[in-house]
Amino acid sequence: MFTRKNYGRFGTAIGGAILLVVLSFAAIGFSQGQPEVAFYADSHAIMTYWDPSLSYSDEVFVMQNMYELLMYYDAKTEEVNPGLARSWDKSDDGLTWTFHLQEGVKFHTGKPVTADSVKRAFERTIEMEGGPSYIWGDPVDHFEAVDDLTLKIFLNYPAALDILASGAYGSYVFDPDVADTDWFNQGNECGSGPYMLESHQGTTEVLLTKFEDYWRGWQGKHFDKVVVKTVEQASTRRLMLESGQADFTDSLPMPDIDALEGNPDVDVVRASSWQNSLALFNTAKSPEHPISNPLVRKALAYALPYKKIIDGIMFGNAVQARGVVPYALWGSSDRVKQYTLSPETAKVLLAAAGYPDGGFSLVATYSSGDSVVRGMGELWKEQLANLGVDLKLQAMPFDSTIAKGQAEDPNDRQDIFFFGWFPDNADPMSFLFSLFAAAEPPVLNMSYYNNPVFEALILQALRVSATNREEAINLYVEAQNMLMEDCAGVGLYDMDILNVKRASLKGYVPNPCYTNVVFWYDCYREE
Amino acid sequence: MVAYLTRRIALAFLVMVGVSIIVFLLARVIPSDPVGRWVGIRAKAEQRERARIELGLDKPLYIQYLSYMNGFVHGNWGTSLYTHQPVLRDIATYLPASLDLIIFGMATALILGIPLGILSAVKNGTIIDHASRVFSLAGIALPTFWLAMVFQLVFFRQLHILPLSGRVSMLTAILNPINHITGSNLLDSLVTGNFAALGSALSHIILPGITLAAAPLGLMARMSRATMLEVLGEDYIRTARAYGISEIRVLIVYALRNAIAPVLTVGALLFAESLVSTFLVESVFTWPGLGFYASNAILTVDYPAIMGVTILISFTYIFLNLIVDITQAFLDPRIRIS
Amino acid sequence: MVLHEIRHALRLIRRNPLTLTGLSIVLLLILVAILAPWLAPYPTDVNTSHIASKFQPPSTIHLCGTDELGRDIFSRLLFGCRISLTVGLFTIGLSLLIGLPLGVIAGYSGGWIDEVIMRISDMVLSFPSLLLAMAITAMLGPNLQNAMIAIAVSWWPWYTRLLRSEAISVREKDYIAAARAIGASWGRVIFKHVLRNSLTPIIIQVSVDFGAIIMTSAALSFLGLGAQPPRPEWGLMINTGRDFFLNSWWLVTFPGLAIFITVLSFNLVGDGAREILDPRLSRRGR
Repeated sequence: MFTRKNYGRFGTAIGGAILLVVLSFAAIGFSQGQPEVAFYADSHAIMTYWDPSLSYSDEVFVMQNMYELLMYYDAKTEEVNPGLARSWDKSDDGLTWTFHLQEGVKFHTGKPVTADSVKRAFERTIEMEGGPSYIWGDPVDHFEAVDDLTLKIFLNYPAALDILASGAYGSYVFDPDVADTDWFNQGNECGSGPYMLESHQGTTEVLLTKFEDYWRGWQGKHFDKVVVKTVEQASTRRLMLESGQADFTDSLPMPDIDALEGNPDVDVVRASSWQNSLALFNTAKSPEHPISNPLVRKALAYALPYKKIIDGIMFGNAVQARGVVPYALWGSSDRVKQYTLSPETAKVLLAAAGYPDGGFSLVATYSSGDSVVRGMGELWKEQLANLGVDLKLQAMPFDSTIAKGQAEDPNDRQDIFFFGWFPDNADPMSFLFSLFAAAEPPVLNMSYYNNPVFEALILQALRVSATNREEAINLYVEAQNMLMEDCAGVGLYDMDILNVKRASLKGYVPNPCYTNVVFWYDCYREE
Repeated sequence: MVAYLTRRIALAFLVMVGVSIIVFLLARVIPSDPVGRWVGIRAKAEQRERARIELGLDKPLYIQYLSYMNGFVHGNWGTSLYTHQPVLRDIATYLPASLDLIIFGMATALILGIPLGILSAVKNGTIIDHASRVFSLAGIALPTFWLAMVFQLVFFRQLHILPLSGRVSMLTAILNPINHITGSNLLDSLVTGNFAALGSALSHIILPGITLAAAPLGLMARMSRATMLEVLGEDYIRTARAYGISEIRVLIVYALRNAIAPVLTVGALLFAESLVSTFLVESVFTWPGLGFYASNAILTVDYPAIMGVTILISFTYIFLNLIVDITQAFLDPRIRIS
Repeated sequence: MVLHEIRHALRLIRRNPLTLTGLSIVLLLILVAILAPWLAPYPTDVNTSHIASKFQPPSTIHLCGTDELGRDIFSRLLFGCRISLTVGLFTIGLSLLIGLPLGVIAGYSGGWIDEVIMRISDMVLSFPSLLLAMAITAMLGPNLQNAMIAIAVSWWPWYTRLLRSEAISVREKDYIAAARAIGASWGRVIFKHVLRNSLTPIIIQVSVDFGAIIMTSAALSFLGLGAQPPRPEWGLMINTGRDFFLNSWWLVTFPGLAIFITVLSFNLVGDGAREILDPRLSRRGR
């Protein structure tokens, strides 16, 4: 019976039987009662920071569901809504704020959220002196927990604390008793938010499960679990959305978004954002370099084919920038100067600067892999070629662009630095100060702009922004026009957020203050 | 033999030290922003300066190297600037997934490639030979990610028989999570009797596995064919056939033993290289492996991670080359390990 | 003597249709590389964009469609031929130049020389080639030549390893001992016997490496370390087209086909070359 021929048949039979058993186990596994699971496909690595006092990057999508803020900013109404703080008031001089906390809030560790724990959490954030520590560290003098539910905060200057406390970074409330960086980094959290961490893998996968004792309760339809996973490849993300494996993704390339417009199962959520794209000019090079001449810089600004960029590269999903503050954020205004494509003007300016036929070259750096900036660069290069200017486009890893921009000698740095930015919170200072205040070493001021008058303007605006919004806006407009006149840089476009989600996912409200964050508690699936 | 091994191991240490020094220096040559990675690009100047000191970047290079190596031999492979995790923990997280995939892929390549090459050699000049040559070339010359995406489109989108991406399906991960011992989904689910997860893991490894196997398969097939053609023309083969020894025995026992050497050499190199060169396949199939980790580390010039991964790769090459050299000597008794 | 060998070679080529095909394609590619400016229907599309006509599918006016900036892909492919051929040949040439002698010396000499060369090649293999390329281009400047040098510097160990393995097998063979016995010099033995008999796997590896090198160079270019856009390098076209594959398959497929045809033809020529040069194969008269 066990001849060689029969071995073969016997073996095949056994193999087939095993396969059958395995597959049926798999099938049985799936027919059990299934929890409602949502899937967020993220284009980048997610958990690069676990410590809420240090978190300053993409993990915000996950953190904002595990942790909570005192209050939340609504960009549409420009109002701040209650979060863990149910109400608040401030003194007349704006130096003392009093927050009244919600009752019955618990941390995932089981302990109650009290004014004292909030105080110690913020103190820890300030003391750790991590990236976002300045947000509270600069304006706050000290905290005082008056009672379990009342927290007083004393300021050095009348800052808009509601704006700061509602920002996406640095304002998480967590249980200070267990907070420890190493403990966090092993994959732990101690927030009070609606979802808890169930498991994770490296930086690329997180499984959240609902926190039964969440203070808002679980009436109505909610997700039981949320999976957030890094799916770098855009085509895979798109296939996941089309097939229903993913409910949401933060971004897709423009042509894919165009293609999905007609798909009834998929929604493209288009909303204004606070993200923009800028080209910064090196104003610190020695005088014989063309770029240090403001006339040349203005000529460059007049040589940008803005419309082609918006229509051809952004597929219409953006708006030409005015100044450097995005149109959806307060502080922007129609009164800020906007450049247009005008080769004749550019030619006149170049001639006035002493380069009637061009005859020089410029180096522009950008982050490799960024196809949008590459496209913009190539369009600009063509326009400039007509003027006799050779624009050399240098792609390099993002970190290398920063390193080059921070080179000791300004003449070693690039001439043009492509940069995309969005603010820490609802404050134009994040654009104007972080990017254009003089700094040595430059950090982010890649135009090396050094103008004390400009800085005085924006600092004054900061002081009055909590008390006199109108005046702050006027000051910001004046500051931006100064920037445009000196042409330290030029705004390219203000981007619209383009999230893509399943039509069956309801409850998602895009909010430029929390870009690409889905507050899963508010969402549910409806077929 | 013992002397040979001792010498190889001693040299191996030298090599790894050499590698660590050179990679350390290479990474410093590349313009980068380690402080920005550590503390976030939004951080202010004071935080950046503190971070610089915290990371030891203000110290001279040789001190930085020595303190890294000191930590290394004590099991501290540094902390990744990007993930803020100990590098050893990161590697332990991502390596098993890579191993799963590479072993599956290389096994497929060997099991299918070598017989294909032999068949092609035996049937030299026929249509089978021509077809298999073009097939092997297709595996080698077509861009890997193109193959990957085409497989996805055909088997997932059109035919709906294989999954799109990931190591296991999401439901399996939630309802039947695998208890990890080694980190390998296939092994662990088998050993713990979690057959639902095993089925899911198997179905998920097929597409990325065969995508990965395509180039090595083609290469092995081409190599085996070529070396078999040479060997088959030798006199001793004619003699063996004249003695009436069966064709299969001739092929495997006599011919293959002498033809296999370059195939093994290249196979070992491919295996070690695949640990990090699979980045595109991992990206398309969302396979959280070392390729993704390593390429991120390089692009963000994450010194500790780069060092850790490179030393790991170095060790793998050394180990595998040792195996190949011993095997070659074993198979061909004329080679003496001098 | 030489004339006889050439006639013999030509006869072998004519008898083998696949080799003939391969050779013709290679000659065609070289012609295309030289004549690209005259053959391309839209020669200016190498660096001019027409953003209004982006992502056009293949048609009679654009044989391979247009890319993300509206440039004619077919024309760019023709121009890219020169770059890609140069990249492949130069890099392989440099790698062979470094790797072959080292491999022969290592395999034939054995002992300490062998150990040292092998350990050095282990070291070079351990470096991620991307890192090496980034470092080299950081030191020398990001352009195509430096990228090619960087790739060659990380590629040579493959040939060394391969050749050493063959040399080891060959050195024990009887005809080597015989040649030495009748007084053949070291160099002659190496060149005539070791190299000629090691040719097979080397030619295979070389003809296969062409595609791999183009793709490695493409990865570097994509990161800004090699050819800078808008240069029409095939690998760069593939990598930039990757983002748009689902909608506009032609951006990736045609450059991919170009690489495939090139690799195929080199492989066929390689096989043919083996048959001509390898004494054992031509002896059988196949």
